[in-house]
Parts: sequence; C-alpha cells; structure tokens
Amino acid sequence: MLSALIFIPLLLAVAVGLVPERVTARGLRVAMLVASSVLFALALAVAWQFDAASGAMQLVERRPWLELLGVSYSLGVDGLSLPLLVLNGFLTLVAIGCTSPTLERPRLYYCMLWLLNAGVVGAFVAQDLILFFLFYELELIPLYFLIAIWGGARRSYAATKFLLYTAISGVAILSAFLGVVWLSGAPDFSYSVGLGSSLAIEPQIVLLATLLFGLAIKIPIVPLHTWLPDAHVEASTPVSVLLAGVLLKLGTYGLLRFGIGLFPEAWLEIAPVLATLAAISALYGAFAAIAQQDMKKMVAYSSIAHMGYILLAAAAGTELGILAAIAQMVAHGLISALLFLLVGIVAKKTGTRDLNVLRGLLNPQRGLPIVGSLIVLGVMASSGLPGLMGFVAEFMVFRGSFSVYPLQTLACIVGTGLTAVYFLLMINRVFFGRLPDRFGNLPPVQWHETISSMAIASLLVVYGLMPSLFLDWSQAQISTLVPRVIAPQEVIVPVAISPNQSDL
Amino acid sequence: MADFFLHACWFLPLYGVVGALLTLPWSSGLIRKTGQRPAAYVNILMTVLVLVHGVLASQAIVGREAYRIVVPWLRVADLDLSVAIDVSPVALGGATLVALLCLLAQVFGLGYLEKEASLGRFYGLMGLFQAALVGIALSDSLLLSYGLLELLTLSTYLLVGFWYAQPLVVTAARDAFLTKRVGDIILLMGIVALSSYGSGLTFSELEAWAAASPVSGGVATLLGLSLIAGPVGKCAQFPLHLWLDESMEGPNPASILRNSVVVSAGAYVLIRLEPVFGLSPIAADVLVAIGTVTAIGTSLMTLAQIDIKRALSYSTSAFMGLVFVAVGCGQVDIALLLLFAHAMAKALLFMSIGGIILNTSSQNLTELGGLGARMPVTALAFVVGAAGSTCLLPSGVFLTFRHWIEEARDISPLGVLLVVNLLAALSLTRLFRLVFLGPVQIKTRRAPEVNWLMAVPLVSLTLLTLLMPVAFWHWDLLAFAPLAIAANASPIAAQFGAALLLLSGAIGFGLGLVLPLTRTGARSLQPVLRFCQDLLADGFYIERFYRVTVVWAVAQVSRLSVMFDRYIVDGLVNATGLATLLSGQALRYSSSGQSQTYVLTILVGTGLLVFLAVSWPF
Repeated sequence: MLSALIFIPLLLAVAVGLVPERVTARGLRVAMLVASSVLFALALAVAWQFDAASGAMQLVERRPWLELLGVSYSLGVDGLSLPLLVLNGFLTLVAIGCTSPTLERPRLYYCMLWLLNAGVVGAFVAQDLILFFLFYELELIPLYFLIAIWGGARRSYAATKFLLYTAISGVAILSAFLGVVWLSGAPDFSYSVGLGSSLAIEPQIVLLATLLFGLAIKIPIVPLHTWLPDAHVEASTPVSVLLAGVLLKLGTYGLLRFGIGLFPEAWLEIAPVLATLAAISALYGAFAAIAQQDMKKMVAYSSIAHMGYILLAAAAGTELGILAAIAQMVAHGLISALLFLLVGIVAKKTGTRDLNVLRGLLNPQRGLPIVGSLIVLGVMASSGLPGLMGFVAEFMVFRGSFSVYPLQTLACIVGTGLTAVYFLLMINRVFFGRLPDRFGNLPPVQWHETISSMAIASLLVVYGLMPSLFLDWSQAQISTLVPRVIAPQEVIVPVAISPNQSDL
Repeated sequence: MADFFLHACWFLPLYGVVGALLTLPWSSGLIRKTGQRPAAYVNILMTVLVLVHGVLASQAIVGREAYRIVVPWLRVADLDLSVAIDVSPVALGGATLVALLCLLAQVFGLGYLEKEASLGRFYGLMGLFQAALVGIALSDSLLLSYGLLELLTLSTYLLVGFWYAQPLVVTAARDAFLTKRVGDIILLMGIVALSSYGSGLTFSELEAWAAASPVSGGVATLLGLSLIAGPVGKCAQFPLHLWLDESMEGPNPASILRNSVVVSAGAYVLIRLEPVFGLSPIAADVLVAIGTVTAIGTSLMTLAQIDIKRALSYSTSAFMGLVFVAVGCGQVDIALLLLFAHAMAKALLFMSIGGIILNTSSQNLTELGGLGARMPVTALAFVVGAAGSTCLLPSGVFLTFRHWIEEARDISPLGVLLVVNLLAALSLTRLFRLVFLGPVQIKTRRAPEVNWLMAVPLVSLTLLTLLMPVAFWHWDLLAFAPLAIAANASPIAAQFGAALLLLSGAIGFGLGLVLPLTRTGARSLQPVLRFCQDLLADGFYIERFYRVTVVWAVAQVSRLSVMFDRYIVDGLVNATGLATLLSGQALRYSSSGQSQTYVLTILVGTGLLVFLAVSWPF
C-alpha cells in the first residue's frame, strides 16, 4: 500500500515523459488531475486502514535491499507521518489544479512534479535512515528544476541558492545518520527509537546538533532561512504551494522523527536552545514580513515565523507539545497553501504582487471580491483567530510549551500578534482603497481557479471548529514520540509520561 | 413548550450565523435580480427569531435553578477544553437585550443604508456581529468568550471597513483591529497561563480555581493584568481607547451597536473574570485606576470634539471606565446594572444622530445647527437619550449611580461619578445646542425628518429608554444588586448622594447652556484656551505619542530585520559563493599539468590532516 504511494508517482513520472507530442498541455493537465485524485484517494485509503487506537507503526513493509551496506527497504506509517501523507496527497492535487493549463514544456513539468511527490512520500514513510536520506535528496532535484525552469525573473539565483542550501542540509543529515549508526554499533540503518541513547551524552549532542543543522536549513530556522523567500518569490504558484505546504514539513518531520527519536536524551539537553531559536525565528520572521513590499515574500516570511512555533512545540517535548507540533504542521500546510494560491491568483490577474501598486481589489464589480474574502479568511486563520484551524494549533503549541519555556512562549505569542499586523497591512493596501484605473479591466476569476481555495478554506473552518477530527489520528501515538531518558533509573527531566506508556 | 425553548437556548447565537450565511448568495453576486434587500430581510427575520426565542426562554427560566450546558470540545494529552453555555436569568436577559438592540439597529439600517449597493455584505456582517454578541452573553467559558471576542474584533474590522474605498476608513479599520488585537493577544497569554497553571477554562472552574488561590502574588498579579488587557481593548479604555473614536468612520447602524452592546460585551467578560482579580489586589487597583483615568480623560475629550459621532464615542469610553471602577471595587452587580442602563440610552443617542448624519450628509458640528424645528422627533430622541445617560431624569443611570453611592463601601467612586456626570451633562448640552439650536446652516437648511424605517426604531427606543425606571422597579433590579450596607459607609455619601448627583447634572447642564459656542472660528484665538482645546480635541496627543513610539519602533525593528536579512545573512551567503567562485578561478592557474606537483600537494595535504587528527584534543 505504502509502496504504491511511492511507485505510482514514479511510474507516472516516467509515463508522462512518453506521452506523445500531440497531447496538449490542457489534456495532460486533466489526466494529471485524475491521477492525483486517485493518489489522494489512495492516501485516504491508507488513513482509513490506519488503526488510530494502536500505538504501533502500521502498514509496515520490509524487504532486504542493499544488505551489504545494511540498508533495507522498510516503510511504515504512524500518527506522525499519516497526517502529512494525507496533506501531501491533497496539496499535490491542489497544486496540479492551480497549474496553468497552457504551461510550456508540460511533460517535463509533470515528470518533475511526480518525482517530487514520490520523494516526499518516501521520506515520510521511510523507516530506514539511509532510505529517508535518499528520498530526502530525491525531492531536491525536481524542485530545483521546477524553480529554475518555470520560475520568475531571478529564478536561476533562487534555484541555485535552494540547491546549495538543501544539499548542505542533506550532507549534515547523512553524516549524523552515519555517525549514530557507526558509533552505536547498530547492525544496520533501520530506524528505531532511542538508537543514539547507547552513546555518551557528548557525542549524542554533537550528532544531534549536526542533524539539527541540516534540518534547520530545511524548516527553515533563522539565520539559515534566506533561501526560502527567494525560492518562493521566484517559484510559480503550484511550486510555492508544495514548497510551503509539504516540503518544509520534511524538516519538522525529521525533527520529531529523528531528532527526538534517535537522541531523546540529548534532545532534552539541547531543547532550551531550540526554544530560544524558535522564538527568535517567530519574531524575526514576523518583523521581516512587516517591511516586505511583495505579497509573496510577505507570506514566505510569515511561513518562517509559523514554522518557528513547530520548533517551539517540539522543543517543549511534552505530549501536548508533540501533538501541537503535528497540528501546527497540518495547519500551516493548509494555511500557507491557501495564501500562496490566492496571492497567485492576484498576481495572475493584475500582473503584479507589489503592495505599492495594488489597491482596492475588493471592489465588487471590477475587483476580485471573492479572492479578497478568501484572503481575509486565510489571513485570519494565519493570525490565529479562534474558530479557524490556526488557532487550535497555536493554542496547543502555546499551552504545550508554556509550562516548560514560559518566556519563549510569550515571545511567540507576540509573534502571532505581529502576524495580524503585517497581514492587515497587506489587506489594507491590496484590497481596501479605491480601485485604480489601471486595474479597471481585470480578467474575471473562473470558478476552477478558486475552487481549491474554497476547499482549503472550508477545511480550515471545519477543523477549526472540530479539531478532534484530525487530531485523533495522532493521539494514541504521541507517547512514543515524547523525548525522554530511556533508562528509567536515570530520569532527570520530569516529562509527562502517560500511564499506557509502551515499553521500549 | 417553554422548556423546549429553554433547553434550546444554545441555538440563540447560531441564528445570526445562519443569517450571515444566508446573505452569501446576495453578497457574492449569485442573485442579482432581486437587489440586495432580501438579504437584509432574512437577517432581520433571524433577529426577530432570536428575540422571540430569547423572551420565551427568559420567561421559562424565571423561578428555576440556573444551569449550564457543557460540551467537551478538545481533549488531547493533558488538555481538556469544553465549551459551556450559562443558562441563567442574567445570561438570557442579556441575550434578549442584545437581540432587541440588534433588531432596532438592523431595521434602522434599512433606512440608513437605503441607497447602499452592498447591503447583503453589511447584513451578513451584522449577523456575525449579533451572533458573537449573543454568544458572549450566554458563554460560560473563557475560551468561548475569547473566541467570540475575536469574532467581534474581526466583524468590527470588516464593518468599520465597510466603505473600504475611503482612506480614513482604511486606517480606522486597521487601527480598530490592531488595537483590540493587542488586548486580545495579552488576554491570550493570560488564558494560556491560566490553563497551564491547572485551571479549567470555564468561568465556574476558574472561580473554583481562584478560590483555592493556587499561585503566588506576583504571578497572580501578572495573570490579573493580562486578563484585564482584553476588556481594556474591547471597552476602549486607556491606553487602548483610540480605536473607538476612529471607527466612527463606519456606517452608523454598526456604530449604534458598537457603542452600546459591543463595548458592553468586553465589560461583561471582565465581570465574569472578577473572581480572578480577587487573587491580586494590584490587579483590582489597576482596574480602578484605568477606569478612573479613562472616565475623566475621555469625558474631557468629548468637550472639544467637532465630530458629533466621535464626541459621543468618547463618552462611551467614559462610561465603560465607570464599569471598570465598579469591577475593580468588586461590585459586579452594579457593573451589570451600569451596562444595562447605559446600553439603551447610548443606542438611542447614536440612532438619533444617525438620522442627522444621513439627512445632512455631515457629522461635523460646525456645519450643523437649527435642526430642532426641522427634525423634532430626532431632537426629542436626543434629549431622552441624553437625559437617560446622565442623572437628569430618574433615569436608569441615575438609579444605578444613587444605589452605588449610597451603598458603596467607600467614598472613592463618588468623586469620579460626579465629575463624569457633570462633564457628560455639559458635553451633551453642548452637542444639543450645536446641532438643534442656533441658526440654520447651509447643510441643515433642507434637512427633512427621518424616514419611517428609521423613525420606527427611533421612537421605540425612545419609549424604551423612558421606561427604563419602570424596568428597574418592575424587576426590582436594585434588589438584584444587594450590597450590604457597610458599617463604614460614608454618611455624607449616603445622605447627600442623590442630591449631589442631581446637582452635578444640573451644573453641567447650566454650564452647557452658558458656554459660548461659535461655529465659525470654533478654534479659539486665545492661546491658553486654544492650547487646551487642541489638547482635548487631539485626545491628549496620545495617538501622536503612539506614532512616534510603538509604531515607529515596530517599523524600525522590521526595517532592521530586513536589512540584516539582505546585507548580513544574504551578504555572507553571497560572499561565500563569490569566494568559492574566485578561489576556483584562482586555483585553475595552479593546475600546471605536472603530476609531481599534484603528488606533492596530496602528500602535504594528507600529512596535515593526519597531524591534525593526531593532535586533536579529543
């Protein structure tokens, strides 16, 4: 089942390259929409089969692969990866939906998109360290081309920057993985919780720091973040949706899975630093967003700020914190996807994203009133308005971390306040005011352009009002993800451990 | 049957949401043929339903035990949050009152926004507004109230920004949102902290938690202060008072609600939180201080305003200041009575000037005058509203003030009450003279009386305000706030309280009558007077102060972060890239093609590495 989620996209990537020339981009897009709907349905089927009450890794597949190197092909899904898997399926569908029907070089584009998809899915389900690394690297190459070929004016700068940053990130992750396996003397690279715990604390911290450096580039954490705004600004809308919605989550997923999973003890040592970094990221991202003049760049910086909350929750390491991190990943995935989609529509219709030029788009006759209303909703979700999904996730983050890191949490709450500041600046400039004459003749927005935004918006409302709908997937598994000292006699830090704690 | 309505009272807020959703076909342009009016009718119908349902439920609760409806909402890890509805006479009565005022404002809006093209959007927002207000009246959970307060913040933003094409509206909407958001964010900090310290987030759980006084003094003070911040923003109290004045740029029907019930919603949450303030004397003192400063400060500011709506909005802040004082003194019941008494009278005042603004197309006091003869009903409504919000009549405000003074435990509120009452009477008299008396101006020459859609709610509300003392007597509301007569109650206050109140009102009235008023050259030529006038008109320059401090600081920090981003972080990155390129360029000259050189380089390099590895301290 999980293999199907990886190999169908790979097959599609090959197949789409073989499609004859006479098939138009438009026709290809429809076919891709169908294919991605099927894949999304498959991801939902995985969720359907998933037993939320069980705390174990599920749908496990394991085959010997490179036995000489100790690498095996082993997959599995749990409460941490399942929401991200489904999110990825959904956002891939959305991304193909918002791809221009008259795209140039569509075969290469869709081929890259499917490769990217396969890489992301593989990384989320891989249960072998080297396998994860391979998928993590696999996702890098198609994304480079997606930015470098279908991007904006400075695309080659942005794509190269992205490539270099992420390549360094990959090297750091690989060396941490190699280090932990070789030093701990594990027979192979298969993932198991607490793998690094057999080491002394110093090498653990060194390895964890290396791993975190690699992941921090991906998340991104300030000051390793500058590739992201550039990449977003140059990337086309669907790529931005995937980049913000899914790809950044690889970093935070790695944080929870490998950072906490492999080095639970060292995690507790290093967590205060991480919480502070998270607060810095959240505030820095917010302040930098205030001064942006480009809508997309503003959303990109807000992404940096919001990813900081995930780090904060993970650093807190309480059960609620871990769950909050997952919730915030999903919430941010949906919200940032929504915002990028809508900014994409604005840019497409008006031809600019410049806050100094755009005005009065809320005009009911000649403006973009529906896009405007949806942006207001997205912005409110992003700034944590209760009743929308962002609030649930943020409240859980703050509540989960306040008892451990009160100051950093308060700083992050200030960050949420600042979210409202920059997004209101954006709305006020872009949508309020008088519609200038140069935008008097905007092309009308078609229903198929807004339908995916509406779907995301309704998800935000539904999950905002009934958060248990998606949190139930992860609930039972949280206790296995909480960082703690493995040997019971050495308990140093009081971490809430639930009574049904499974023995490791 | 009555039972059914009582048990279904959780649906009261949802009527507004349904109404708002039903306007979507009109506001999104799906239905064009009918015009936008049906959207308004749908919402008015929903409000009528709330009112009927509310009245029936209120009747059913009489003589019964109050109870709560608790629904678990989110249960994850150690977090257990539920949403609770308070089914009690106060809550249901409050919800009904809100529905009544919403109904009047919505009917009024039909007349006021007669020629408005986006009526559907307006009524959709009003539906949300009403849902949030009714919800806050019923809510028994701090979390739910917080959510609804935020919904109010959002709908205020959108309602103030209704005429988004006007520049002043744009900044007003933004400031309204951000100012309230500052308060709300601090409130959120308090909620997160409360929840982390082990308290549940329903008001009853909070009360039980506070009774056990589980936190130390310092923490309790910080908690108390953070909880105050939300209502401070909502009730437009110092230092977050500026938004209310600015938001008067929005359509008037929304201003009616904003000044009567929306600010009351914030105060109501404050009242529900009162047990927590009991934990910390400092928090209670801060409440009194904020209330006093705002009450007197904004009362002074009203005197120098030349915008009629803004003048009235400052008096709203002043009255809410009194509510803060009452809560700070622990007199929750007085605070509730104040809210009740104020809401009607202020709604009436705003309704009457709504007609004036529509029919003269001006809200500038220097352009108005002589309207008394042309708009007699409006003038009468204004007089009744003014009397109802001061101590000129046996108004609800008078009864509440008297009760408060006679039975208060100390004398401190007396001074504030007298000052506020005097200034309110003075300011309202000034407004009346400027608007209704004096010579006819260009803009008022052809002003007709308001149309019937506005007249009906106006007259109804006038009657309701006049009947306020009857309501006090009929429901025996003063007994509802039984303050044990303290032994140390000041005898002066007890004996002369009522007389002093009437006197202060009369003095204010008299001063208002003799105050020299000029329309042309409203700004005095005398330097001292002029300075005072400017100071008050500009709200003690607080806005400018914010602009050069907070706003400036945020702008600078954000500018700095961007510079840091562009020049330092990216500079380093690009410099590294450049250095790599350059060194590559430089190194290519060293590739001579002689294998000996290569071998030598490799040897030296390996040697160095080995040396480093051996001598490494690990």
